[in-house]
Amino acid sequence: MTSAKTPLTIFDKLYKAYGGSMGKMLIHTGVIGWALSSAAQIFAIAINDKIPKEQKMFMIPQEFADACVNILSFYAVTQTFSAVGKKLVSTGKWLPENVKKHLVKKGFGAKIGKLNTNLETIIEQMPSRIKTSYGRFEHGMDVTATTIGSIISCNLITPLVRNLYASHRQQTQIAKMNNKNEPLQKPNQQNYGQNNIKAFNPYRTNGSLKV
Amino acid sequence: MTMIGINPLRTVAKKTVNRIVKAIPPVKFKTNGKMTNAVKWVGQHISSPENRLILGVTALMSQPFIDLHNRHVDERTKEVSAARTVAKIIAGTTTGVIVRYACIAAANAFTHKPGPGVKKLSTLFYPINSKITTKKLNKYINFMGTALSLGVMMFTNFLIDAPLTKFLTNKFISNIDNKKALKNKSINLPRKSLDEFIKSSANNVKGVNNDKC
Repeated sequence: MTSAKTPLTIFDKLYKAYGGSMGKMLIHTGVIGWALSSAAQIFAIAINDKIPKEQKMFMIPQEFADACVNILSFYAVTQTFSAVGKKLVSTGKWLPENVKKHLVKKGFGAKIGKLNTNLETIIEQMPSRIKTSYGRFEHGMDVTATTIGSIISCNLITPLVRNLYASHRQQTQIAKMNNKNEPLQKPNQQNYGQNNIKAFNPYRTNGSLKV
Repeated sequence: MTMIGINPLRTVAKKTVNRIVKAIPPVKFKTNGKMTNAVKWVGQHISSPENRLILGVTALMSQPFIDLHNRHVDERTKEVSAARTVAKIIAGTTTGVIVRYACIAAANAFTHKPGPGVKKLSTLFYPINSKITTKKLNKYINFMGTALSLGVMMFTNFLIDAPLTKFLTNKFISNIDNKKALKNKSINLPRKSLDEFIKSSANNVKGVNNDKC
């Protein structure tokens, strides 16, 4: 019975998609994981009775934007790192010496290190020990690059962007709230202290930043 | 049908990758050298639970400091956000790693090759119509376990992560407040005793003067 005649099950399709690349699996499951985690945080805010409605109106879009930044940076940065890691190996720029020597011996020396080279098809024709060595190294590079990429995106880029965005949102919201309250004051009762001067509004915070 | 808007993005991404690869110098990886073996070891031993653990540990090393050095917010906000970040990392990493490990073990149990004496349930995830290699099958099991864990985490995120994050955040904030209160007490203590000392010494002086009179 050939596989062409038998319809592929969902597990066959998943095997085909993720059986080859651990990096791809880490990226895709990571993105879904972040999305689910953010959905949980948003849900937790939405059902929290202790948070007033006005604050919820601010916190839910903030958490949503936080999730978007997180997912986008994770996907873009990690995907780039993974692609760079794979390409460094597939072009032959980073290769174990035994594989490199074997390729040179077989007359592929001129192709090594060129951007348009794809060693994967060439390696298929090589002896199994070279194939194994190349495969393990390529897989290791894929996972290493993906892990470094996810550390940079999740632990450096996301918190920096998130903090900038959250503090900006917080300040705008406070400024809006202050502007709303302002017409209620009678001109002769105005206190010209720091708290009531418009120019100070962007620098005031109420300590409700949610990260 | 091609999707408009995706192709230009892909071209930009491809060009970016090419530029980075071009800029990176070639590196010698000795056949059995430390670097080569380390790269191979990572490929063999790091899967999604380990990846989550690494992310959690590095997050603890970086994110609270980023929050504490946020120049755009006041001191109290810095403390609260750092406390919440630490709580979120601890809760997320602990449940994430445990759930992933458990689900990969479950996926392993349900991915057996069908055959005589093998229960039908234990062949549930086995890709019966594919050409199987051990290496690919191991990666597939890791994927199935991680995918399964995502389903489980839909519940644990709500039932464990969110409440645990809230509990830990409150705990950390109360710890910070207690430490602050203690610090303030210790700063105020000598001043009070000094005041008392001055008062008492003044009384003593008065008493001495009165005695003299």
